[in-house]
Amino acid sequence: MGVNLAQLQQRFAAAGYIVEQGAVLTVYLALKLQKPLLIEGAPGVGKTEMGKVLAEVLQTELIRLQCYEGLDETKALYEWNYQRQLLRIQIGLGSEGPPVEEEDLFSLTYLLERPLLKAIRSPHRVVLLIDEVDKTDPEFEAFLFEVLSDFQVSIPELGTLEAKNIPVVVLTSNNERELSDGLKRRCLYLYFEFPDVARETQIIRTRVPQVGERFAREIARVIAQLRGLEEMRKKPSIAETLDWTQALVALGKKRIDGLLVNDTLNLLLKNRQDQLLFHRKIGREGIDRLLRNPVNGEGKLQCP
Amino acid sequence: MPLAIPGDYPFEENMAIFAALLRAAGLPLGTAELLDALKALGHIDIGGRDTFKAALQATLVKSYRDLDIFEEIFEQHFVPPKTRIQQQQEMEQQREQRKARLESAADELSFKGEPLDLSSEEMLLYSHLPQPDRESLRRFVQETEAAEKERRPLRPLLETVVRGQLRYWYSQKSRAIAAGGTAGGGCGTAGKEERRLCESDMQALEQADLPAARALINQLSQQLARRLLRRRQRSASRGALDFRPTVRASMRYGGRPFRLKYRRRHRSRLQLLFIGDLSASMERYSSFVLQFIYGLQAAILNLELFSFADALEYLTPFLKEQAGPEQLLERVLLRGESWGGGTNIGAALGRLNRQYRQLLTSRTVVILVSDTRTINLEAALVELQRLKERVRRVIWLNPLPPEQWSLHRSVITCGELVEMWPCNTIARLEEAVAGRLFATMKFYEQGAVKR
Repeated sequence: MGVNLAQLQQRFAAAGYIVEQGAVLTVYLALKLQKPLLIEGAPGVGKTEMGKVLAEVLQTELIRLQCYEGLDETKALYEWNYQRQLLRIQIGLGSEGPPVEEEDLFSLTYLLERPLLKAIRSPHRVVLLIDEVDKTDPEFEAFLFEVLSDFQVSIPELGTLEAKNIPVVVLTSNNERELSDGLKRRCLYLYFEFPDVARETQIIRTRVPQVGERFAREIARVIAQLRGLEEMRKKPSIAETLDWTQALVALGKKRIDGLLVNDTLNLLLKNRQDQLLFHRKIGREGIDRLLRNPVNGEGKLQCP
Repeated sequence: MPLAIPGDYPFEENMAIFAALLRAAGLPLGTAELLDALKALGHIDIGGRDTFKAALQATLVKSYRDLDIFEEIFEQHFVPPKTRIQQQQEMEQQREQRKARLESAADELSFKGEPLDLSSEEMLLYSHLPQPDRESLRRFVQETEAAEKERRPLRPLLETVVRGQLRYWYSQKSRAIAAGGTAGGGCGTAGKEERRLCESDMQALEQADLPAARALINQLSQQLARRLLRRRQRSASRGALDFRPTVRASMRYGGRPFRLKYRRRHRSRLQLLFIGDLSASMERYSSFVLQFIYGLQAAILNLELFSFADALEYLTPFLKEQAGPEQLLERVLLRGESWGGGTNIGAALGRLNRQYRQLLTSRTVVILVSDTRTINLEAALVELQRLKERVRRVIWLNPLPPEQWSLHRSVITCGELVEMWPCNTIARLEEAVAGRLFATMKFYEQGAVKR
């Protein structure tokens, strides 16, 4: 994994992940300093994708821990395979061999490895993606930063298991709640904004190569216009931009106009209020006006 | 040279100064972060200003809210040598000016040839006052000097009066600056702007700020709603082992406890009942609170909404029409005879207690939004007491700044009866609803949230 900054940048580009220079540098430093990387930003800006792409770029396995409220060590770290232990005891009782010892039951055979332990015990350096860490409870977060600082786990029945290779840890958060200072201190920090028109055009062209430069730019401008609506409940994500682009390609479209946006709005805005907001604040005419004007609309809202 | 290191300090020391500046600006920064930053710099080419800045940002900043502070301090601290020299000259000039101002203030505020015993901050404050105010204070000192007859020492008294006067002007000035600051608008970065909106009194927000403030409230309430709706999964920490069902379930495995059963908590359905005061003094606050509630209704199962000024209005049917918050407000405005009228909390609560009795149960939590200004306070207290006895909890969100609470009898008496939380700024509103209310009620556990 001894990549330098330029190589890392090249590999990100080759993987079709268009990202700012500053972000690549932060990832590079996280790898060099062996520190977890905490990525924050609005939903749909490519935080989770960073973890996936990083595994691809480093040509290693991705281990993902999806966080939710109520997540605890048994789901994140390890659990004893209770049923298997019980069966083992039953088999032992029925046979005439030597009795089952306690040490036999509390061995690695009966240990169910969950993502954290799996990442720590992996024979090679893996990427551990801890997704939506802001959804966990504070207790779990405290436990998490203990694991992330020492990269070792104590199992009372087995002893301490140390990391064979310190995994590359990527944590993502949607800012639904403030994370603890303890966790933040252990991480390098990266904040993702929605991409500007130029970068989103580049992303569209990379991911959907059959789209021409002008068409991609029009798509990016319309998306920037929608994201400019402050009251919007759920702004279109990059993934939704790409889905929409693919849908437009499937429909055989080469240019965008207000009517087309209106007809395919369901692919971009997924709740009724956002759609009503679009009709009220922008509408078909607003899109037509935006696309007629070659200068305006670079992410700035032009309301009627 | 792209990267200029200020002063003649060694690099590490200079970095420590930079970290101290960030710390002073409120960034939670420890030695560990500084060491990380220094280590990170060892892995990059620090000749490039952008790379240098990105490395420091990655290691020293831990929240998007701090990004703008970092940006500002970085730009001020790491400047080209030429600019630094210019800055030093400006600072020198400012020091000279300060000295001159202090001397002149000491001259002007002297009593019997001796300057008054005032701190340098107080002297500077005096020197920054408008000419008429300075003149008036100087005249007061001179008149006191002339009035000092016989041997009665007036100096200590005079100093106290002058100090008090300066403090008064200072508080007036701070208020004016705060008001002027909100009028300026749109000059800061997103983080600063958000903070300013969050921390300004809702009533003091300018018309131009309202769309952004509404968007912010929307965002906050939706965040809270998302938190409440968050996917939950049962885990091992779900409760104690329930022995009887475990034994029963183990029968099919020949008595072996193969499937474990856990106890479940009894859940009762809580109901939230909001009552917003829509009288003239409360219009702005109530509209913001209404908007907050609007964002929450997606996540709360039993939400009832009322408004009042002189009369009570039942607004829940509007909520169910799924119109946007603005439309909801428009409808209330069009329909409500009570909007913008005089406030009668007693009459409104009385009607609630009588006509909507079925909504007031031991499962109901009432959130009342009002500044407590009402006609017939005694009647309001009686009805409030009745309401309190009928429901689980009454929480009063008061948009008056907490420092003014002790000045109003109505606030004191209502506050003695029910819990009262401030909500004069967006930050406080969020803290009250998202922080205190939902944290203490453990709403999800009580089954009030949609699943």
